[in-house]
Amino acid sequence: MSSATSLAVTDPRRERLAALGRRAVIRLAGGVLVLWAVASLTFFALRLMPGDPVLAILGGPSANPSPETIEATRKEYGLDQPLAVQYVFYLGRLLQGDLGVSYSQHQPVTQVLAEQGGATLELTVAALLLAWLLVLLLTVVTAGRGRLVGGLASMAETLSAALPHFWLGVVLLAVFAFGLRWFPPAGSDSLASLVLPAFSLAIPLAGFIAQVTRESLELTLDQPFILTARSRGLSDLAVRFRHALRHALLPGVSLSGWAIGALISGAVVCEVIFSRKGVGRQLYQAVQVQDLPLVIGISLVVAAGYVLANILVDLLYQWIDPRQQEAKP
Amino acid sequence: MSELILERAQAPLRRQRRLHLPPLGASLALVFLAGLLLAALAPQLFTHIDPLAIVPREAFQPPSWAHWLGTDQSGRDIFARVIHGARQSLLIGVAATALSMAIAISLGLLGGLGGAKLDRGVGWLLEVLFAFPSLVLALLFVAVFGSGIGPLIVATGLGGAPGYARMVRGQVLAVRNAGYIEAARALGHPTSRIIARQLLPNAMRPLIVTLTMGVGQAIVWASALSFLGLGARPPAPEWGTMLSMGRDFIANAWWLTFFPGLFIVLTTLATTVTGRYIQQRLEGRLP
Amino acid sequence: MNHPILPLIPLCAALALVGCERAEQRTVHSDQPVHGGTLVYATDREPTCLDPHVAGDMPQVFVAQQYLDSLVSMDSDGRIGPWLATRWEVSADGLRYTFHLRRDVRFTDGTPFNAEAVKANLDHMADPKTQSSTAGGYIRQYRGTDVIDDYTAVVRLATPYAAFLEVLAQGFLGIQSPTALKRSRDQNCESPVGSGPFKVARWDRQNQVELVRNPDYNWAPPTAKHQGPAYLERIVWKFIQEPSVRFASLQAGEVDVIETLPPESHEAARRNPDVELIVAQRPGNPTNGTFNMRRAPFDDIRVREAFVRSADVEGALKSVYFGEFPRAAGPLSVATPFYSGDFEDSQNYQPARAAKLLDEAGWTGRDADGYRTKDGKRLSATVLIGARTPPSELTLWEQVQATTRQVGLELVLDQMSDAQVTARQAAWDYDIRTGYWNTNTPDVLRIIFSSAFVQPAGVGGYHQNSSGYADPGFDALLESALATQDPEQRRALYHRAQQQAAAQYLQLNTYPQSTRLGIYKTAHGVRLEPSLAVTYLYDAWVSK
Repeated sequence: MSSATSLAVTDPRRERLAALGRRAVIRLAGGVLVLWAVASLTFFALRLMPGDPVLAILGGPSANPSPETIEATRKEYGLDQPLAVQYVFYLGRLLQGDLGVSYSQHQPVTQVLAEQGGATLELTVAALLLAWLLVLLLTVVTAGRGRLVGGLASMAETLSAALPHFWLGVVLLAVFAFGLRWFPPAGSDSLASLVLPAFSLAIPLAGFIAQVTRESLELTLDQPFILTARSRGLSDLAVRFRHALRHALLPGVSLSGWAIGALISGAVVCEVIFSRKGVGRQLYQAVQVQDLPLVIGISLVVAAGYVLANILVDLLYQWIDPRQQEAKP
Repeated sequence: MSELILERAQAPLRRQRRLHLPPLGASLALVFLAGLLLAALAPQLFTHIDPLAIVPREAFQPPSWAHWLGTDQSGRDIFARVIHGARQSLLIGVAATALSMAIAISLGLLGGLGGAKLDRGVGWLLEVLFAFPSLVLALLFVAVFGSGIGPLIVATGLGGAPGYARMVRGQVLAVRNAGYIEAARALGHPTSRIIARQLLPNAMRPLIVTLTMGVGQAIVWASALSFLGLGARPPAPEWGTMLSMGRDFIANAWWLTFFPGLFIVLTTLATTVTGRYIQQRLEGRLP
Repeated sequence: MNHPILPLIPLCAALALVGCERAEQRTVHSDQPVHGGTLVYATDREPTCLDPHVAGDMPQVFVAQQYLDSLVSMDSDGRIGPWLATRWEVSADGLRYTFHLRRDVRFTDGTPFNAEAVKANLDHMADPKTQSSTAGGYIRQYRGTDVIDDYTAVVRLATPYAAFLEVLAQGFLGIQSPTALKRSRDQNCESPVGSGPFKVARWDRQNQVELVRNPDYNWAPPTAKHQGPAYLERIVWKFIQEPSVRFASLQAGEVDVIETLPPESHEAARRNPDVELIVAQRPGNPTNGTFNMRRAPFDDIRVREAFVRSADVEGALKSVYFGEFPRAAGPLSVATPFYSGDFEDSQNYQPARAAKLLDEAGWTGRDADGYRTKDGKRLSATVLIGARTPPSELTLWEQVQATTRQVGLELVLDQMSDAQVTARQAAWDYDIRTGYWNTNTPDVLRIIFSSAFVQPAGVGGYHQNSSGYADPGFDALLESALATQDPEQRRALYHRAQQQAAAQYLQLNTYPQSTRLGIYKTAHGVRLEPSLAVTYLYDAWVSK
C-alpha cells in the first residue's frame, strides 16, 4: 500500500497560530477598507458644513483678509478645484501619510496628533486597566457567594453602569479636587492628574464588564471541572483566578473591544472637564471651528485605533478560548 | 453602544439562578418610569412653576420648601426644570431608539433576506459605522447639520443603529427558516405579509428587553451631547444641558449639577432593572 | 474565609499617597525681590498665534506683553512716554513722525534694534499677507517708513492721526526681530523673537507656553518698577479653560496667578487670606449689544432708546455676575483717556419711558402673546449668540429678554455656530450684535461708529461698524480729534463725540471689560501695565 497521502500529524499549536495569522490578515484587509470609507465619509461630511473654510483658515470672524490673500489661500489649499478633484488629491495625500495642515493650529496634523495623542492613549489605557482591576477585585471575588454579598455587589455593578461618565467626572472633581484637595483639578502631566479622569471613565465601564463577567463566572463555577479542582484541595481564590477566570473572561474580553470606542467617546468629555490635553478635546474644538484636516485626521486615527483594537480583541478572544479554535472547520 | 445589551439579552438560561434583585427593585423601577412618563405627558401634575421663568432675586437658592431642588443662576426652579426636562429626555430617548430600530430593521431585513452579497455589503456598512466611536459620529453629524433637538435625535439614533442592526440581522437569519414561515409560504401568502405578520414580530420579540434598556442608553447619550453643547441649547430644560450650565458654579451651588445628573442615573437604573425584569419574566424565571 | 475587602486596602492607600505627594506650599514673606524661580500663570484661552501682529486678540497680547517691547509707553494718566524710542517729533501737518531710537537694544536672537527694525515691523503689520486684524487695522493711515540713519526713523501717514502714539504703546504693535519676521508666518507664530524681558522657549499646544528670562534685558519702560533683567527665571503660561478648575488650581496653590477670575469666585477669593485680587477696568468700548440701524425695528431711534430703557441690566449684573461687574452705560469705559462720566445715566432702567416711546413710535397694537404690533407686524429683535459665548453672557441676555418682554418687545436669542454669526454679520442680517473693543484710545469711537468702517474691510464681509451709523458730522468730528495734538482740544472733541453716540442710542452697554487677576501668596510684584491693563510680569518674583 502506498502512503502517498500519509496522514500528516501537524503540531496543533502551530496550526492555531497559522489560523490566527490568516484571520489577522483578513481582518486587517477589511480594516483598511473600513478606513477608506471613514476617510471618505468625513471628507464629504465636512465639505457639506456651512461656512467658507477659507475664512476659517484665515483667522475666523475678526480677520480682514484682502481679496488677494483669499485667492492665494484658496489656491494654496486647493479649494478652487471641483469637489471630485479635491477628493482624489486628498486620498492621494492620505496614502502618502500626509494628513495636511490644521487650519486652526497652523501645524501639520500629524504633529498635532503626535503631541496630543499620547495623553488620550494614556487616559484610555489607564481607564481600561483600572476597570478590569475593579472587575477582578469586586466581581471575581464575590461571584456566587450567596444572596447578600452577591446581591449587594450586583447592585453596585448595576449602579456603576448607570452612572453617566460626565456627571461622575464633575462630581469626582468637586469632591476630590475642589473639596478634599487630594488630587489636582487640572493637568495632563502627572500621575496624580490621571487618577480622577481615569476613575470617571473606569467606574461605569467596570459596571458593564462586571455584569457580564459575573453571569459568565457563575455559570462557569458550576461546571464539573471546578468541582474537581476544589476537591484537589485548591483554595477558593486559586480556583477562581486560575481555573474559572479563563473561561469566564470571554464575554468581558469581547466587550472590551466595544469599550475602547466608548472610552474614546468618554475621553472627549473627560478631557474637557479635567482640562487635559488630548485628541478628544482637540476633535471637539476642531469641529467647532470647521478645521477640516484636523477633524479628518483625528477621526481617521481614532477609527484606525478602534479597528486595530477590535482586531486584537478578536484575536485575543480566539487565543483564550480553546473551544472556539477546535470548533472551527 | 448596544453590544453590551446584546450580551445581556442573549445570555442563555442554563439553570435557575438566585435573583440579584428582589422584585422590590423591579417595582420601584416601574413606579419611577411610570412617574417619568406622567411627568412627560402632564408636568402640571407635579409642579405649577414655569421652568423658563427668570427670577433674578432668587438666584442660587439651595434646596428648600419653596424650591425643592433649589434654583439656578437665573432663579429658575430646578425641580420644575427637571420635570419638564423629563419630556425632552423621554422624547429624545424614545425617538432616537425608534430611529435606530427603523434603520436597524431596514438593514437587518436587507442583510438577512437579501442574499449573501447583500448580506456582506450590509455587514461591511455596519463595520464602517462601528468604526466610528459614537461620539465622533455625533460630532460630525452635528457639525454638518447644526445643534438642536432634531439633529440630536438623529445623531443619537445613528449611533445606536449599528448595534441593533446586528441583532436584528442575526434574529432574521435565525427565524427565516422557521417552520411557521415555511407553512405560510406553502399557503401562498405574499412575502410582504409574511414579513409583516410572522417574521418581524418573532424576530423582534427577544429585542424588547434590548429596546427598554436602549431608551435609557439613548437618554444618557443625548445628555452627553447636550453636555458638550451640541444638543439642546440653554435655557432648554434638558438634563444634560442643565448639567453643563451648572458646571461653573459647582463650588457655590452644587445642586445645579447634582440633581439633573441624579435623574439621569435613576432613569438609566430604572430602564436597566425593568429590562432585566422583563427578560426574566419572558424566560419564565419568575412566577 | 477570605475577605473580599482586603485587596482593596493597599489600593486605597496607594491612591491616597499619590494624592498626598503634591508638596505643601511654604510661605516665605519677603519684601526684597528674589532672583530666580518659576511663576505659573493660568489663563482661560489659548492664543492661536504667539505673534500679536497676526489677527490680534486679547490672549495674544497678554502673552506677547512679556516678550515684546513697544516703541513708546503709556502711563496710567494716559501720557505717552519713551521706551524703545527715546524721543520723537511730529510734523506740523501731523503726517510725519520722526522717532529717535535707543542704541543699546538687542533682540534675543542677536539682531540689533535700529530704524530698519522699526520699518520691518510696521511694514509687517500693514502687509495683507500677515492678516493683521488689530495692529493692521490701527495703522490704516500708514504709508511707509523712511530710514534716515541707524537710529532715526520717519514714519509717514496719509492723514493726521493723533492716536498714533497711543496705539503704538499697545502690545499688539510690539516690536519683533526683523530677522525673525522674514520667516514664514507659521514659524513666527510658533516662536516669535522680541527684545522683551522674557523669550519664548516652547509652546506645548493645548497645555502651556514656556517663557525664560532674557539675561541681557536693560531697557525697561519708565512705567516699570525696576531696570535690568527680570527677577523670574521662568514663566509657565498655562491654559485652563474651565473657570471652576482654574480657580480651584489657584486656591490649591497649583498655580501662582490666574487671569479672568470668574465672578462667582470673587467672594471666595476675597475671603481666602492666601489670595489677593487685582481688578482693573480696561479702556475702550465696553461690552455691549450694538443695534443694527439699517433695518426695522432699530432704524427708529425711539425704538432703540425704548429697548435700552426696558432692559434691566443692573438686575442681571447683580445676579449673573454676583454684583462684581459695575454697569457701564456710556460708549467709553472709565479707563479710556478723555472718558466723560456725563453719560452714565443715559441708559437707566425706565420701563415707563420705554412704553411711552414705543407708543409714540406707533407700536400700539398687541398680539395674542402680549407683544406690541404695528401694521400687523410684531415688535421683535434678534440677537446673535455664537457657540463660544460664555453661559453667563447668555444668561445676561436671557434676563434682558425677560425684562423687555414686559414692555411688549420680543427679543429672540438666536444661537448658532461662530461661523454663522460671521456670515450673518457680514450680511447685516441681525438686529443686535454683541461685542466689545479693548483699546487705549477714544479713537475707538471712529472705528465702531464712523462710516468708513461700515464697508467690509476684507472679502470676509466683517465690518467693524456693526451699527451702520454713517453720519458725516460724526465722521468729521472724529477726524478733527485726530488732527490736533492738543489734549484739551481732544478732550472737548471726544466729549462731543461721546455725547452724540450716547444720544443716538447705538448700543446697549452692559459692563466694562476688565482684567481680573487672582494672585496666590507665593507671587509678588504682579502688575498690570497701564495702557491696556495687560498682565505685566517683568517686576514679579516668587517666594517658594
